[in-house]
Amino acid sequence: MSKVRCPICDAAMPGNRQDYPDYPFCSRRCRIIDLGRWLGEEYRVAGKETGDDRSTPSEGGEDESAR
Amino acid sequence: MSTDAALTPTAGEYTSENIKTLKDAAHIRQNPGMYVGNTQSGGLHHLVYEIVYNSVDEALAGYCTLIRVVAHKDGSITVADDGRGIPIGIKPDSGKSTLEEVLTVAGSSGKFDNAAYRVSAGLHGMGAKAMNALSEWCEAEVRRDGRVYKLEFERGYATSPIQDLGPAPDGKTGTSITFKPDPEVFGDLTFSYETLAERFREIAYLNKGLALTLVDERDGRTEAFKYDGGIAEFVVYLNQGETPEHPPVYVKKEVDNITVEVAFQYTAGEEKIERCYTNNAYNPVGGTHLSGYRAGITRAVNTYGKKEGHFKDGLEIRGEDFREGLTAVISIGHPDPVFESQTKVRLNNPEVEGIVSSVVYEFLSEYLEKNPKDGQRICRKIALSAEARIAAKKARDALIDRKKILSGGGLPGKLMDCSTRDRDKSELFLVEGDSAGGSAEGGRDRMFQAVLPLRGKVLNVEKARLEKLLKNAEISALIAAIGVDIENVEDISKVRYGKVIILTDADVDGQHIRTLLLTFFFRQMRKLIEDGHVFVARPPLFKVTQKKESRFVQTREEMTKELMARGLKDTVLQVLATPDREPARVPRAVTGGDLAKLVPALSEAETAVVSLERRGHTLESFLHRLKDGAFPAQHVRFAGKEFWFHTIEEVAAFRAEQAQKLGRELVLADELAGVVAGGPGAPAPTGVVDEAARYTLDEWHEVRALNRAVAKLRAMGFEPRDLVPLQRVAGREPPVRFVLESGSTRKELAHLREFVMEIRRLGERGITVTRFKGLGEMDPEELWETTLNPAKRTLLRVTLTDAQQAEDLFRTLMGEEVEGRKQFIMDHKINNPEDIDYGA
Repeated sequence: MSKVRCPICDAAMPGNRQDYPDYPFCSRRCRIIDLGRWLGEEYRVAGKETGDDRSTPSEGGEDESAR
Repeated sequence: MSTDAALTPTAGEYTSENIKTLKDAAHIRQNPGMYVGNTQSGGLHHLVYEIVYNSVDEALAGYCTLIRVVAHKDGSITVADDGRGIPIGIKPDSGKSTLEEVLTVAGSSGKFDNAAYRVSAGLHGMGAKAMNALSEWCEAEVRRDGRVYKLEFERGYATSPIQDLGPAPDGKTGTSITFKPDPEVFGDLTFSYETLAERFREIAYLNKGLALTLVDERDGRTEAFKYDGGIAEFVVYLNQGETPEHPPVYVKKEVDNITVEVAFQYTAGEEKIERCYTNNAYNPVGGTHLSGYRAGITRAVNTYGKKEGHFKDGLEIRGEDFREGLTAVISIGHPDPVFESQTKVRLNNPEVEGIVSSVVYEFLSEYLEKNPKDGQRICRKIALSAEARIAAKKARDALIDRKKILSGGGLPGKLMDCSTRDRDKSELFLVEGDSAGGSAEGGRDRMFQAVLPLRGKVLNVEKARLEKLLKNAEISALIAAIGVDIENVEDISKVRYGKVIILTDADVDGQHIRTLLLTFFFRQMRKLIEDGHVFVARPPLFKVTQKKESRFVQTREEMTKELMARGLKDTVLQVLATPDREPARVPRAVTGGDLAKLVPALSEAETAVVSLERRGHTLESFLHRLKDGAFPAQHVRFAGKEFWFHTIEEVAAFRAEQAQKLGRELVLADELAGVVAGGPGAPAPTGVVDEAARYTLDEWHEVRALNRAVAKLRAMGFEPRDLVPLQRVAGREPPVRFVLESGSTRKELAHLREFVMEIRRLGERGITVTRFKGLGEMDPEELWETTLNPAKRTLLRVTLTDAQQAEDLFRTLMGEEVEGRKQFIMDHKINNPEDIDYGA
């Protein structure tokens, strides 16, 4: 299993996902910080790059749930 | 002892003359709460502590190293120490022994005179008198001046004069007090082992090196407490089970006759622990030493963090943020402490605050400078604490008025709700795009379909890059509309819709909004995904117009399939007899099912050939390596040349042959560390690259794929060379070998690689294919027909794995470095915007 780290505090999260009620966060506190960042408009993804090539990532093609 | 010495006490002596009399102790029994807090369990244990404190005072004065407490079966307690022993000399003014006065008359105590005890836990010695007054009986045994003395009491009054029990064994000194709390006073007479142990452990921590033993004769339990690490060890004990951010910080300093001892340690947790003591007595409410400590921590860390740039500009850090996850023990020794109440709940000496503050500030500032790693961790933790506090407030503020959020008066994020409240039937569409929201509103079934338009916000960053984000109002509206309790995310019983459906354009922006939304759900509403409530709508990718009729095709695969089917219908492939082979090919016509089978085989071959071309090899240049209908996939690089082999055995033979020529074995290049050592015959010295013997070996998987396709083609009577145009002769176009015939259309092919494309072209005859980029290109009726109508639409249920993938991508996209993003794109070989789909 790859090393899982909390997106907020970067703490290592050994064990299973089930061990963390606030997964993917290590704690409720980190989840709330994340919520604060959403509400604070801190999360941005790149839009079209002006002047640059139009390369854009996709999420890995086909959707596995399309069954 | 001489009378003179007794009248003029010298430092360190403890005689009858130190004692001053205040007033009689009679009213203790009428007001026990004033002295020991209450008459419940707390007050009961307090009696023990008061006597132990007296022994600790002896220890602080340097005359005692051992304290032993025994809980007896009859409910009595013995506290014994190896101190100097309470004086037994008769006081001239009262005619009573010091021992009796210490235990009976209020206000009589050595504690009033700082010469005897510079610091003291007890408050004016009232504790021992309170114990005695509140006990059914009490026996005090003193070893002093080589003899053993005993005095007995009942409910605070001596019942006999001092008895001399004879010489003390080995001339030892000490005091031993045994007492039984009075059932007339206390409602609860049972001593708790745990409570006593906890307190004694604390006392032992507070007095580095002091040995305290607790013996419980009721059940045989016993424990010894002795800590050479003092309060630093105490902090570690309090932090058991937490992850510490650094080793405990410990400082001890004496300023103006006040001893300041502080130990603290940050943990990854959130709990704050502050234990304050004055002269060993616990001060549950804190006081001036606590406020001094807090001020010192705040000032030191704040100054350091700002200077080192660990705190983001504009981040408002409060005092409480500095103390989250911080465990501290603050212990001060004060010659004249002033407390709030006899139970010492709070220290009131005003001068203590400044002293503790500057001791902590100076020491911690220096510590942080010397330990920048710890400093960074501490600052990072504090910044997160501040952010958590602000975030919690932001969340409350954002969601305080749901109604207002959802009605929003034309603001983005305005919900167009459905009329049913039947959760199983209702659906919420999250629609992105300027015109799409309008189409969705017009096209939906108001009965059960709600629409929440999201417009996102585009920021122009550094003039070069556009960034997209979800606005605060949109996040608030999302949470409010869906109805997930953000405080209790596991509970989705209040969720207002059975399905939450993301509907975005099939372009880059739409894909990014989808990534944002999926990440948000994954992080903040995971349960919604887990229980299968989140979907991605799949609007059609293509619109097909034939004469005046239009229809929609959902996916690229379906579109291709349809075009190929149309192109193959009534089409014939004429294979001509061309002079490119011996014996000459017999002309034939391929039709129907045989023609259809050519499509997948040629598509497979095409993919492999394109891949080969990326490596710089054309199929043409590879043709001569064909052997038994297969191309060689084992690729060897040796002596600056490339070689291909069909099997690994051929490779082995080649290596043997070259080794013989070279005189030593070939060495496989180690891509990471130059080369590995050669065989036993010629071991290459470590780190020296034997260039002449170096070779590489890799298998080209596209050649394997090509061989599979070639096998299928050969089964149908075609050869790899049919994929390559014939040589031009004298500048003329290469001869035609194949002709596609379909109705009146006739298309000549120089080679079969053109076949699939030409079939597709035939399929496009008579129809117009438009690829949808935005939902806005559909009118409301079209949107209903293709995307909203449950009878016809395609929905993809988002799994946790899908959402996790979206989150991974999000983390990559969020990464500040543009390089990481570019790398990601390269790793995934994603460079065709046409590949962007509606899919999750």
